[in-house]
Amino acid sequence: MTKPIIEVKNLAKNFGKNPVLKDITEQVNPGQVIVIIGPSGSGKSTFLRCLNLLEQPTSGEVDFSGENLTTLDTKRVNELREQMGMVFQSFNLFPNMSVLENIKLAPMKVKHMADDAATKLAHELLQQVNLDDHADAFPASLSGGQAQRVAIARALAMDPKVMLFDEPTSALDPEMVGEVLNVMQELANQGMTMVVVTHEMGFAKSVADQVWFMADGFIQESNTPDAFFSNPQTERAQDFLSKILM
Amino acid sequence: MKKRLVLFFALLLTLVTGFTAMTTTANAATDNSLTKIEKKGTLVMGTSPDYPPYEFQATVHGKSQVVGMDVAVGKKIAKDLGVKLVVKSMSFDSLLVALQTGKVDMVISGMNPTPARRKNVDFSHTYYQGGYSIVINKSDKGIYKDKDSFVGKTIGAQTGSTMYNESKKQTSGTTVKGMTSVSDLILALQSHKIQGVAMEKPSAQAYVANNKELAAIPSNFNLSASDTSASVAFAKGSTALVNKANKSVDQIKRENLVNKQYLPAAGKYLKTNTVNTSMFHYWKAFLTGIEYTLIITVCSVFFGFILGVLLSLARMAKGGVFKTALRWLATAYVEFIRGTPMMVQVMFVYFGLGLIVNLPALTSGIIAISLNSGAYVAEYIRGGINSVDNGRTEAARSLGMSSGTTMRYVILPQALKNIWPSLGNEFITLIKDSSIVSIIGVSELIFQSNIVRSDTYRGVAPIAVIMVLYFILTFTASRILNYFERRMQHD
Repeated sequence: MTKPIIEVKNLAKNFGKNPVLKDITEQVNPGQVIVIIGPSGSGKSTFLRCLNLLEQPTSGEVDFSGENLTTLDTKRVNELREQMGMVFQSFNLFPNMSVLENIKLAPMKVKHMADDAATKLAHELLQQVNLDDHADAFPASLSGGQAQRVAIARALAMDPKVMLFDEPTSALDPEMVGEVLNVMQELANQGMTMVVVTHEMGFAKSVADQVWFMADGFIQESNTPDAFFSNPQTERAQDFLSKILM
Repeated sequence: MKKRLVLFFALLLTLVTGFTAMTTTANAATDNSLTKIEKKGTLVMGTSPDYPPYEFQATVHGKSQVVGMDVAVGKKIAKDLGVKLVVKSMSFDSLLVALQTGKVDMVISGMNPTPARRKNVDFSHTYYQGGYSIVINKSDKGIYKDKDSFVGKTIGAQTGSTMYNESKKQTSGTTVKGMTSVSDLILALQSHKIQGVAMEKPSAQAYVANNKELAAIPSNFNLSASDTSASVAFAKGSTALVNKANKSVDQIKRENLVNKQYLPAAGKYLKTNTVNTSMFHYWKAFLTGIEYTLIITVCSVFFGFILGVLLSLARMAKGGVFKTALRWLATAYVEFIRGTPMMVQVMFVYFGLGLIVNLPALTSGIIAISLNSGAYVAEYIRGGINSVDNGRTEAARSLGMSSGTTMRYVILPQALKNIWPSLGNEFITLIKDSSIVSIIGVSELIFQSNIVRSDTYRGVAPIAVIMVLYFILTFTASRILNYFERRMQHD
């Protein structure tokens, strides 16, 4: 059996006195695509942000490649974050830089890549997300779908081992959802390990290796998409699935 | 909150005690006054050159310089000492402070050796015995006879001068208005803000001779000899230097050099001076003013910005004891600077820091204004940083960038764009506020205009000229800033 790349042990997170994550123990294996679904406010995003320590867990452990992130110093955490790309709901592109500069910044400033090498890499990644003709555009001139594809390319520029997606299509107009999901699907086909928080059930069904159903701060069910969607075990999951149109 | 207050006052106390301690040490120095000058080879004379014929600015061989009978006295003393005379101009108020803090070696500025002044400085023998007159508008001749005719009216006098104090003491029912320069007072007189100006007799004669609308009347102040005589002031305790200077002064007195040589010479400068009072004639003076105003502003903006960035980062530092202390210090600094007038800060840097290192006036001015501007810029930057969407920080951090790299490449450029209009405002304010350093004698626009005013006896024209010049400067600056603002606009 392969060693898991991410291992979460008894993870809990409180915001003040409000417990958001209660006791989560799960693992992600290399090459796996995990889709986390569940009702709003169930803690999906918080869980994802605990994986690269954008949120500091209240208790429990987050292991990445065998190292417990919660015990490491800032420098090592920064190094491990390079290996976990993250894509946000609101894109979070740097508005003062062109598309190309957005992608080049981290490889140059963190990995100290030479300027021409970074430019070459950025163009390759832009081709991969079908946006090479927008290399010199500024984020404000992009559509939501284009911006999100740039954000994916930017994360990929650090050559990550895992990609974390935090509701990547929730802020998009419906006609743009497809172009982003296509890029993600392609990425999954190439064998990228992915953890995706989404409301796109179609994507979950067709791309996920594993579906985690989250509610009330717990992962209630973990199953293959086929099994989960056709035969949910918990009442909570049955209730959730009955409420969404499929 | 209470804790912070305690910290703040502790800081203040340290500052004040430190300053007082420095002053004491400076005063307690032994008398090496004479050897120091001889070793240095120069004798620095402080004076307020807006008081013809005692001292005033005149164009000699195409170069603007301070002339007058006091300068002649200073030259004589320096010559007898075998050293070179250096004349340093500043406002009358600042002269004695400059002497005490070692900015100048002596003060010759028509200064009366009053008992109050004697407490703080040493005086030479009297080199000139004058008296007071009151200058009035010629149209008012006949209304005013002497100091007692001004009941219910206003008399003006130079702030910090003997005339000012005596006018207050010896009149009743008369308002006494103090202004820093005599040219301002004359202007106030001509625009009927005040009805008379009390000044030394020779000065009064010079003003009347050069301005047909003015007349002089006797003051009839009841005065002791020390109130009407002029002496050279030296730092307290420099007996050796005073004794040496007294020899020169005694000779001046004995041979009546002031009346025979110095005053007629000064009179000549006054005459040549009034030949051409057109503002174009003084374009060089204004150009120098613009040059210094720009030097001060640009340097202060540069250093102020660097200081502002550091302060804003310190103010946002969170974490251990060290970072908390840093944050408190930065906060205390910003509050203190914003809570005290810039003019006081300029004087503190020039005279206060001057006790430790002898900084030239221009450097002191730049330091003071940079320190001041830094505090304001820090607040703008802090606001700018807070205005950058936290999502961008998270995106940068998720890419493995450290907090420092994130700050430098992601947050600050965006913050800078957001606060650019405020920074531009600060820059334009600085162009105008740099005028404050005129009080320590930096020859920026205001200072230069004062010189032109006392030079030409024209009150309004130089003010109008610098008003236009300031506007050209600020307007050009704001156009340039707007250009860069547009260039940064990507959304």
